[in-house]
Amino acid sequence: MSAPETGQGKPKAPSSGFMYAGVAGATVLVLIAGAAFYVATKKIRHDNVAAVAVAVTSKACEPNSLSVPAGERTFEISNKSERPVEWEVLDGVMVLAERENIAPGFKQTLKVRLAPGTYEVTCGLLSNPRGTLLVTPSQEANAEPPKATMRALLGPMGEYKFYLGRQSSAALRDAKDLADAIKAGDLAKSQALYITARQPYKRIEPVVHRFADLQNTIDPVADYFEQRENDPAFVGYHRIERGLFVTKSLDGLSPVADRLVADLTTLDERLKAMKMTPGILIDSAGNFTTQLSRDRLPAQNNSIAKTDMTDLEASLDGIDKIVGLLRPIVTPVNPELAQKIDATLTATKDEVAKQKSDAATASSSSASPSQRKELTAAFTNLADALNELPSAIGMNTNGT
Amino acid sequence: MAHDQTSTTDRRKILLGLGVAAGGALTSGLAVQEAGANDKQVTDAPESHRTDVEQSVPFYGLHQAGVVTPRPANGMLVSLDVIADTPVDFEKMMRKLTERIVFLTQGGTPPELDPKLPPADSGILGPIIQPDNLTITVGLGNAMFETRPWLKRLKPRHLQQMTQFKNDALDAELCHGDLSLQFCSNTADTNIHALRDILKNMPEYLVPRWKQEGSVPTVLPEADGTVPSARNFLGFRDGSANPKSNDKPMMDEIVWVAEGHDEPEWAVGGTYQAVRIIRNFVERWDRTPLGEQQRIFGRKKMSGAPMDGVKETDIPNYANDPDGKITRLDSHIRLANPRTAESRKNLILRRPFNYSNGITKNGQFDQGLLFIAYQSDLERGFITVQSRLDGEPLEEYIKPIGGGYFFVLPGAREAGDYLGRKLAEAATADPSTRS
Amino acid sequence: MKRHFVAATALAVAFGYAGVAYAEDEDSKLVEPLAAYKSFVADHTEKLLENTTKFTEAVKAGDIAKAKELYAPTRMDYETIEPIAELFSDLDHTIDARADDFEAKEKDPKFSGFHRIEYGLWDQKSTKDVVPYADQLLADVKDLNHRIENLTFPPETVVGGAAALMEEVAATKISGEEDRYSHTDLWDFKANFDGSKKIYDLVRPLIEKDHADFVKKVDGDFKVVDDTLAKYKTANGYELYDKLSDEDRKVLSAKVNALAAELSTLRGKLGLN
Repeated sequence: MSAPETGQGKPKAPSSGFMYAGVAGATVLVLIAGAAFYVATKKIRHDNVAAVAVAVTSKACEPNSLSVPAGERTFEISNKSERPVEWEVLDGVMVLAERENIAPGFKQTLKVRLAPGTYEVTCGLLSNPRGTLLVTPSQEANAEPPKATMRALLGPMGEYKFYLGRQSSAALRDAKDLADAIKAGDLAKSQALYITARQPYKRIEPVVHRFADLQNTIDPVADYFEQRENDPAFVGYHRIERGLFVTKSLDGLSPVADRLVADLTTLDERLKAMKMTPGILIDSAGNFTTQLSRDRLPAQNNSIAKTDMTDLEASLDGIDKIVGLLRPIVTPVNPELAQKIDATLTATKDEVAKQKSDAATASSSSASPSQRKELTAAFTNLADALNELPSAIGMNTNGT
Repeated sequence: MAHDQTSTTDRRKILLGLGVAAGGALTSGLAVQEAGANDKQVTDAPESHRTDVEQSVPFYGLHQAGVVTPRPANGMLVSLDVIADTPVDFEKMMRKLTERIVFLTQGGTPPELDPKLPPADSGILGPIIQPDNLTITVGLGNAMFETRPWLKRLKPRHLQQMTQFKNDALDAELCHGDLSLQFCSNTADTNIHALRDILKNMPEYLVPRWKQEGSVPTVLPEADGTVPSARNFLGFRDGSANPKSNDKPMMDEIVWVAEGHDEPEWAVGGTYQAVRIIRNFVERWDRTPLGEQQRIFGRKKMSGAPMDGVKETDIPNYANDPDGKITRLDSHIRLANPRTAESRKNLILRRPFNYSNGITKNGQFDQGLLFIAYQSDLERGFITVQSRLDGEPLEEYIKPIGGGYFFVLPGAREAGDYLGRKLAEAATADPSTRS
Repeated sequence: MKRHFVAATALAVAFGYAGVAYAEDEDSKLVEPLAAYKSFVADHTEKLLENTTKFTEAVKAGDIAKAKELYAPTRMDYETIEPIAELFSDLDHTIDARADDFEAKEKDPKFSGFHRIEYGLWDQKSTKDVVPYADQLLADVKDLNHRIENLTFPPETVVGGAAALMEEVAATKISGEEDRYSHTDLWDFKANFDGSKKIYDLVRPLIEKDHADFVKKVDGDFKVVDDTLAKYKTANGYELYDKLSDEDRKVLSAKVNALAAELSTLRGKLGLN
């Protein structure tokens, strides 16, 4: 499992230069090696084109079709609508990159590395038409790197693939139980089941949230629908949650539960058919945590706070799983990073545990601004640490 | 390990230095001894000689090697079960076996494979396989023919399953088999290497049943240049009355199946192999008076001479001793070979090895004789001789526990030919296999 | 190198998310078989736990007939996943050791697990002494289940496991010494073969193109084994080991060794050292 073994494991692996890992959509790992490439990329970075501006209105994106050269691109998204929006780059149903919770009147930037091809972008409300993003071939993208060994990642990748399948099966099983309870008209049981039923899903959300279509039907937030909670398209966990905990009525929940079961079935099939890549394993935790800390936690639109901490615990379980898988790979090459990740993860878990126990006794059902701030800070630190993983593991394949 | 390898030279220098220092501090005699030992290390392998390791016995010929070939120091007999349900399988197996034997007995370099794969060779002899005087002799057992309808009618006339003699205590796990492989070479390692090679290359055809290794002690030549017979684990010279294996007409008479022997045509050039694992109760033997030991054998223990002679090659004169006053009538050598005109027909070529396996559950040595004998007629040869020995006084000290009868295939004639070709062809032509 | 490292880090972080599809490494093809094998093992360990619970309940209830009936089928799940199960040598020792592994043999108090209970049920014809061993077995199987759930399967162990199972059978089972009191060895064989074949089947698509002859040979050998064992199938499982004919034992022995030799090249063929 140690780095030198990995480097020697494959005779054809380059003997010098550095490597790093990146992600290609959710499909393919990019392993780049060689000082020549380093020089080439460095030069290209100096020629970087300026950020591409996109405005999201209440109806569409402006411009609605974009064209950029392949490579690392930065988008500057300004929200010109009346409500928070998310902006995503989609490759088919897979989310390549996204910014969530851009507040009305605000601008956010998003960096993404793009291969030539045609992509779609979302533009505010889910019912709004999608924009197109054309990525043209470029010199930068043509600097194809040599392959590097994946030997050390094979075991962890296999395990993570197994974990995803295992959790999605559990999510499906629990959703069926929940649907049964709802149909049986048992509100108390449904409420009890809801909390645990959501957990397997939250554990694998770092990967699942890349399936744009399913994410929008399994776990969307009401704000992204035109009529919010009352929008007929508003389905998924939160729709059920609203019935169980806000209106405290099972009316109309049966079809929603059936839909959830159907969508989770699709998810389960998709995850089992999905090709596992190093990128999924290495990047998902960092990206997801970044999104939590940057987009979701500070703005928290979800008004039922008591389950938030349970959700976050499950999310941290899922992150913990990834960290555990990558620890033996990171530790030999960058023990400081391994320590940093462990420390920030523990701190985040502690913070969540503390707020959970506070919430249990608090009169208010939602977290205070200061609590939210502390939580955000913990997740931000964790995200910072996790985001160092791609480069650290890239170095690992260098075999130094 | 890596550290050990790189530092061997340095370590030697240090040890040498210590040796010299220690020697200086001791008496001069000891110092000389120290110095003499200085260029040799515990880990140095015993030296072999190029003439030994390059010694090779030709494989191709009318007969297989390893029968009339002089015995090298180490032998091993392995019995195996064969998985071959059709003449085609049998041919494939024999071709493969022949290919391995040619390589192993003639020597060569095993192919180098991708290090991610298991290596082609066990490596126990190093990168180059030297012949080391190796012969591998292939025989087929009764079961090979009996259990395969397409071979049954081709079975050599005298081949049969070994049956229990009076003194035998046969252990089913050490008896019989479809196929025997006799390995003989200068070193035990060469034999083991060859067996491992064959099993590694032919697991789908061969399942080993039992195996016995043995050795022949080396002996100093006599003053007159003659080399006496080696001793067995009872301390007696073994093979004194053996027919001369370099006497070709005699071997044709005693050992080889020939035209007109009323044997299947394919069997011409082959021979019957009788194998017996004979445990010796050496503790008890060592507690037996010398006179008694000599009377039981019918020879003098140290010289190997018959009771009425002075040297090993002397021939006992039983005509002068009809009542067994000099050489007891029930002595081993007199029963085995009464030296009458009639008993000449019962001569066999013995090619035994001593074996020593360990300690029995009762805390005694598990050692004895790996008896191997060749003859053109099993019935007239070993079976008759052994029947005569039934009830001999030596039985108190020996116990046959295993073995079997096999028919040693005729030789492969030249490159491209394979052992058992004529048998395979006869089996294929056999009407019982056409359906 | 240091300077390059800093630059590379910056670059990699920037590219960390969503990248370009450049090249696919051949090695990653093993990921799917690894995940599938873990699922296979996890299913078997869950079933093992379920069946061990019933088995030990029968033992503790003193229901010898029922316990004997459950013994062999319960063991099968363990034997199927042996390459993984035996990674935990402490548990392998307490769950599946034989009397020979202990100086005082059957009388050794440390002799525990399936075979200790087997000894009680068949040889001693009593559950009197084995109740504590039943409790321990269940606890050990629970522990095993938990450890396997959390184990990242090493690829070389998984791929090497196909041959390892055959080596196990060749070295310590063909003699019938495994289930010496109950003579239910054929159940174990079946499980060992199935466990080995599962691994082979999972990686087969990765090698069949380049090693057509190999795949044909291994398929054939597995088929002979299957056909041979099928002769001894009964309504509820398998015949006792003494029913196995000498001929079939030889065939199994030859095929086990042939498969062990063939499957020993799987790791190399898949580029695993």
